[in-house]
Amino acid sequence: MGQEFVLLVSASIFCIGAAGFMIRKNPLIMFMSVELMLNSVNFLLIAYSSFLNSLDGQIFALFIMTVAAAEVVVGLAIILTIFRTRHDMDVDHIDVLKG
Amino acid sequence: MEIATVFNFTHDAVIFVVGMTAILASLGVILCSSPIYCALYLIGHMICLALLFLLYNAEFLAVVQIIVYAGAVMILFLFIIALLGGKKEVQENTFHRAMAFAFVFTLLGELYLSATVGTTQPIRGEIPPELFGTAKAIGLELFSKHVVAFELASGLLLVAAVGVICLAKFSFAPLRRRVR
Amino acid sequence: MFASSWLILLFPLLGFIGLSWYGNRISRKLVGFVGCGTVGASFFMTLVTLSNLFFLPPEERVGQVQTLYQWISAGSFKLNLAILVDPLSVFMFLIVTGVGFVIHVYSVGYMHDDPEYSRFFAYLNLFIFSMLVLVAAADFFFLIVGWALVGLASYLLIGFWREKTSAVLAARKAFVMNVIGDVGMVIAALVIFETFGTLNFVDVFASAPGQFRPNDDTMLLITMLLLVGAFAKSAQLPLHTWLPDAMEGPTPVSALIHAATMVTAGVYLVARCHVLYELAPYTMYFIAGVGIITAIFAGSMALVQYDIKRVIAYSTMSQLGYMFLAMGIGVYSLGMFHLMTHAFFKALLFMAAGSVIHSLDGEQDLRKMGGLQKVMPLTHATFLIGALALAGFPLTSGYFSKEAIILSSYHAEMGNIVFWAIAVLTAGMTAFYIFRVYLFTFFGKLRSPEVHPHESPMIMIVPLLVLAVLALLGGVLGPWVDSFLAPVFGHVAHPHDNALETIALVAGLGGIATAGLLYMVSKQRLDFFKEALAPLYDLLFHKYYVDEIYDYLIVRPTKAIGAFLEQKAEREGVDFTVDQVGLQIKEVSHVISLWQSGKVRSYALNMVVGVVTILLFVVFM
Repeated sequence: MGQEFVLLVSASIFCIGAAGFMIRKNPLIMFMSVELMLNSVNFLLIAYSSFLNSLDGQIFALFIMTVAAAEVVVGLAIILTIFRTRHDMDVDHIDVLKG
Repeated sequence: MEIATVFNFTHDAVIFVVGMTAILASLGVILCSSPIYCALYLIGHMICLALLFLLYNAEFLAVVQIIVYAGAVMILFLFIIALLGGKKEVQENTFHRAMAFAFVFTLLGELYLSATVGTTQPIRGEIPPELFGTAKAIGLELFSKHVVAFELASGLLLVAAVGVICLAKFSFAPLRRRVR
Repeated sequence: MFASSWLILLFPLLGFIGLSWYGNRISRKLVGFVGCGTVGASFFMTLVTLSNLFFLPPEERVGQVQTLYQWISAGSFKLNLAILVDPLSVFMFLIVTGVGFVIHVYSVGYMHDDPEYSRFFAYLNLFIFSMLVLVAAADFFFLIVGWALVGLASYLLIGFWREKTSAVLAARKAFVMNVIGDVGMVIAALVIFETFGTLNFVDVFASAPGQFRPNDDTMLLITMLLLVGAFAKSAQLPLHTWLPDAMEGPTPVSALIHAATMVTAGVYLVARCHVLYELAPYTMYFIAGVGIITAIFAGSMALVQYDIKRVIAYSTMSQLGYMFLAMGIGVYSLGMFHLMTHAFFKALLFMAAGSVIHSLDGEQDLRKMGGLQKVMPLTHATFLIGALALAGFPLTSGYFSKEAIILSSYHAEMGNIVFWAIAVLTAGMTAFYIFRVYLFTFFGKLRSPEVHPHESPMIMIVPLLVLAVLALLGGVLGPWVDSFLAPVFGHVAHPHDNALETIALVAGLGGIATAGLLYMVSKQRLDFFKEALAPLYDLLFHKYYVDEIYDYLIVRPTKAIGAFLEQKAEREGVDFTVDQVGLQIKEVSHVISLWQSGKVRSYALNMVVGVVTILLFVVFM
């Protein structure tokens, strides 16, 4: 399978993640969609590091994983803080900053 | 038939199947009504991706994916889902949903189109092929060429940990009790 | 060698600045001294300049320009802070500072009880300074500066009693008409600059004869525009309505400004620019015509007025008409001579009238005066001398100057019989009305019994005596004036025609006699005339309804246009637009701010839309 397959798969997963982020109301599922997007990019990087015979892609993917982990931790803590006292998991109800 | 072509064919077939499974799993993530099922689909998706990493000569990262991503991050997700919101949610068809789908499909289409644009300048590395993707090779690269980023990433993790403790502590700490 | 002439302008300026800053803190006596002293010092410096001028041979006396400071030097255009010292300007200096000094001394007595004493002297000094700038200017620019400053000083002085509404309105009217003149002058200066490339008198007058043939369009334009300014300042038709109203100011103001100096600025202007006017004979006919028509117009109105100062104001207008007639005919030095003698006897008349008004506690109506001959003998004598000079009684200064003009109106090459006839008629009217005033005021019995008139203090009488002497004996200065101004104007012939002289003389004496007949001897003839000529009387009394005509034709439309523009253009136009700039921004931003819904998902949608757009560019271009 050549590079086109990798590109298509990665693009598909990315778009699916983006769509998921926009159409779900539950903040946890939105977060999972963000993870999907990050994963797709990871895949792309690693596949290309294989094609181009350079380890830079893999190291970049490693860093992405690190940052994603940190981000998930902090993000979930925030979601916990916001939604613990409410009883509806609906991100549309958090619009205090509207103009 | 030669062994090489059989091997290549199998290699390609496996990659194709695993790729499709990953896409289907991600569709499952976004389309399920219950958050638990979505999390499980995501774990499945990550395992598929780990398999793909393995097929592309990145053993170390495949294992890191399983251990860190699927193992720690997703378990954290499951804990939070258990703690907070496990309700099934009803999908209503709003204008917003329609717009979202429209634009996302456009994005997909453009990305497919850009796939035909071509690659950028190739980067050629000097790793002997049998060491490619192993922990040793990654360690050599990481601690020589990318050591600054490594240090910064560790700082980031520290900040994240401290931040989480502060966030979690704020809503809970009953400061008055210690006065007695 | 005329560097000291700058002091002539400096002293009144210092007086104005000093009195306006410190006037309230120093004693009245000191204010009086400073006020008069500065003008006296100017007069002394004028005499010094005069003697310096006599050191030069007559041909060299023209065109001495003293530069103080080189102000503008842009390419070929140069403008300096400079004064022109030549016989004409020194002549005007003498009149302005000399008569001005006398009037300052008089005001010390007249304004003695006024609470705003120092402000008055500050303004008077400002006026003297402005008038000196006007006559000393060496180029059109500073002439206009002086012109405008004189208008300002006149406004301040006419409206000196600020609580009197009529005075303030009169001041405004005078100022507005003066501004009309200013506009004409400025346009004229611009045309001169465009034509000649310079504004200096010396350069313009030197190059004008070579560049233009007579009655060239440009020259007509320049001279007519300058005339707008001259007629506004000298109260000739049709810009004359401000002068009678200007009598609302204190009497010394009327004496100084509206008799001797400011109103003569127009005559001075024509005299100074005579080179340009000689290149436009049509304009000169126009000047002579307007002058003589104003003379008879004003003379007719003076016949029936009851305010003593108004009669004298109309006579000023009339005599200025004579001066313009002289300028229009081309006998400039005769006009300037009449200017000088008129300054003497008109200031004298105003000040004597002021003395009467002062002793009657502010009464100005003729019908309430009378019988002051015995109570105020010195005032009576000086007023009589002034009246005789104005009427042109033989051997007074007025006789010599008026006779010269009346004769020239027939004999000069531009004169004709019409001018002469109207001039003689006006002379008769002049004699009549001034003696009417004299008889009303000083003969008969006092018609307002509750006041007790007394002779004025010496400080007011001495200036009257000085001017009376000059009015009587000034006639002998005629030939000297001619020869003194000859370097500027050229020699002028004094025609002698016995027939015409006697006719003019008879007209003058006849006027005096008629006044005596009507007002001294019997009342029935006066009443008979009044009934017979009642409609004419009404017309004259209401000043030919010119004020009302102007009100309908000019003032009301202008006010209506102003109100309309204020509502439409200002409030609904400019204000609305400026306000809308802010308001519309607020409205639009309010609408746009609704885009920020606070919902994360819509923000994500926006981001995706953005990415899609950028990718469009990447993929397809």
